Amino acid sequence: MSATPERTTSATTAPVASEPVLLSVRDLTTTFATNAGPLRAVDGVSFDLGREEVLGVVGESGSGKTVLSRTIMGLLARSRVTVSGSVRLDGVEIVGASENAMRQLWSTRVAMVFQDPMTSLNPVMRVGHQIDEVLRVRLGLSRTAARARSLELLSLVGIPSPAERYRAYPGQLSGGMRQRVVIAIALAGAPALLLADEPTTGLDVTIQAQILNLLDDLTARLHMSVVLVTHDLGVVATRTSRIMVMYAGRVVESGPTADVFADHRMPYTRALLECSPRVSNAPHTRLAAIPGRPPNLAALPAGCSFAPRCAYATERCHREVPALVETTTPGHQYACWNPLPARGGPRP
Amino acid sequence: MTTPAPAGVGPAALLSVRDLTVTFGRGAHAVSAVDAVSFDIVAGETLGLVGESGCGKSTTGRALMRIVTPTAGTVELDGVDITHQRGRALRRTRTRMQMIFQDPISSLNPRRRVRDIVAEPLDCWRQMRGPERDAFIDDLLLKVGIDPLTHGDRYPRSFSGGQCQRISIARSLAMRPQLLICDEMVSALDVSVQAQILNLLEDLKAQYGLTLLFIAHDLAVVKNVSDRVAVMYLGRLCEIGPSTTLYESPAHPYTTYLLGAALEADPTSRARPDVLEGEPPSPLNPPSGCRFRTRCPRASDRCASETPALREVAPGHRVACHFPLVRVVDDGA
Repeated sequence: MSATPERTTSATTAPVASEPVLLSVRDLTTTFATNAGPLRAVDGVSFDLGREEVLGVVGESGSGKTVLSRTIMGLLARSRVTVSGSVRLDGVEIVGASENAMRQLWSTRVAMVFQDPMTSLNPVMRVGHQIDEVLRVRLGLSRTAARARSLELLSLVGIPSPAERYRAYPGQLSGGMRQRVVIAIALAGAPALLLADEPTTGLDVTIQAQILNLLDDLTARLHMSVVLVTHDLGVVATRTSRIMVMYAGRVVESGPTADVFADHRMPYTRALLECSPRVSNAPHTRLAAIPGRPPNLAALPAGCSFAPRCAYATERCHREVPALVETTTPGHQYACWNPLPARGGPRP
Repeated sequence: MTTPAPAGVGPAALLSVRDLTVTFGRGAHAVSAVDAVSFDIVAGETLGLVGESGCGKSTTGRALMRIVTPTAGTVELDGVDITHQRGRALRRTRTRMQMIFQDPISSLNPRRRVRDIVAEPLDCWRQMRGPERDAFIDDLLLKVGIDPLTHGDRYPRSFSGGQCQRISIARSLAMRPQLLICDEMVSALDVSVQAQILNLLEDLKAQYGLTLLFIAHDLAVVKNVSDRVAVMYLGRLCEIGPSTTLYESPAHPYTTYLLGAALEADPTSRARPDVLEGEPPSPLNPPSGCRFRTRCPRASDRCASETPALREVAPGHRVACHFPLVRVVDDGA
């Protein structure tokens, strides 16, 4: 029996907390070559993510939030995708890195939790072996050491009777349990950055609350930074320190979570907040629906992408793309020609 | 289209469900999907039916439509027992109640034009022909926000999810039903589109005098459309009552957890709700007595031995719990 303690592995993966910024994204653009021409799914996105910071990325389908996380992870097929700009993880450039170079980062520096826990697990492999695989391939653990560490990880993510579940196939577990296994796999290499793409979509509300609490606890305990991608404003409201609202591939507003919720300047942010049904609403409350639907990325309108659905759009909005501008609150930016007045200011 | 109310008992129910039970399989493999569920839906109201996956809310809706056969219990539509109807009588009944499903794209035939999809119920019943039929369909499409001139002859694939759901709604209204059963009809849609569809549903409900059974897992959506809400857990009804009462003072411990886990888009709301631990037990082998007792902090021996009946805690607010969170005003009866 091998006596390798799991600590030998954590020594190689311990975070080097030298710089305050873990992830630095500059002018990131992801373009897909489609039959209908180039499609810019992510368009000039820039942001910094500090250590142990949780950033929420919010948007509807087609807003580019998922492509953004996959670009950072380096998961997109290189043949039909062009990525420009810069993504630096702990100073290491990811854009243009070879697949081999990415392999060195996956799991030990950056890991991802996907939306659908059924399709992100191998259905014909015991879940324990799927965790072992990461530990053996990425960290070079022996079979015995990997098994011991897998059992620890299973209990870390709150799976009852881990020894039994270790031998289970994904199909024998509930959706919530499968998502816990996916999280265990993501945490196996003790990554500094966790990308969570809709980690609770499709789960029941009570299970969603369990998983979000688990992610909260683990990020604090393991000193991870998290990018939480979701369509649900309720998920980011209390779980993130900063949020970034995306629309048609661009960031339209970003800032400290409380500030963006209370003092948003971009009409889309307001529309998104107002069209969400609330538990506190009276029955038959009429929702402030946004007319139209998210634009087709292959045929984006000129100017601001939200202009065709915006109540405040003027002629300039249809002509020129607004750039992100700073508000008086540090770190709060918006991209709009006709912003909503700052809180306390006159209503339009 | 309201049913005249019998003297002194308030408005009569359009749909009356008594002890509805659906069991799949037999013997050791029997899954009790719905167990003795009873409720009424009054003409013109919206009853929301909430619960987590596997609680039997969709099976309840399907059993009402007779897509699955109830194992026991009765379903009455307008005073007529439809539980054992067959053949033409059942088909006739189904024109009075229609269902809208979750996945708007797969519930439309990809090889038929939108106009024909919406007209199919009429064509089946040979209700209208020629220009009268065409005008009726155009009108229906306009009412759900689809332009019949530019979009009527297209196939479902050229529509977005929200538009497909509009087409499903138009089809369901073609036979002028009294009752619509909406099963997770907005859960696959983006929030901005979801709001449009919910508003459309409210408009059509008023216009056509519809009665709705709105099945969904999203508590905020259900609150926004429902007059009354019923909560299910593992095949049984836990609690039913007026939406505002039920959301403000839930009587069943499960309802409290369910509401506590609902996330509000508000950073000042409580960050860490009391989380319900564990997961629902298997419906193959449900707990004795109250089915929630294995996860309930208030459970006692009585909960294991005795199945709690629905009791009234306030006018119209009934709960199936031995130890409800609000005081019972009218014990039993």
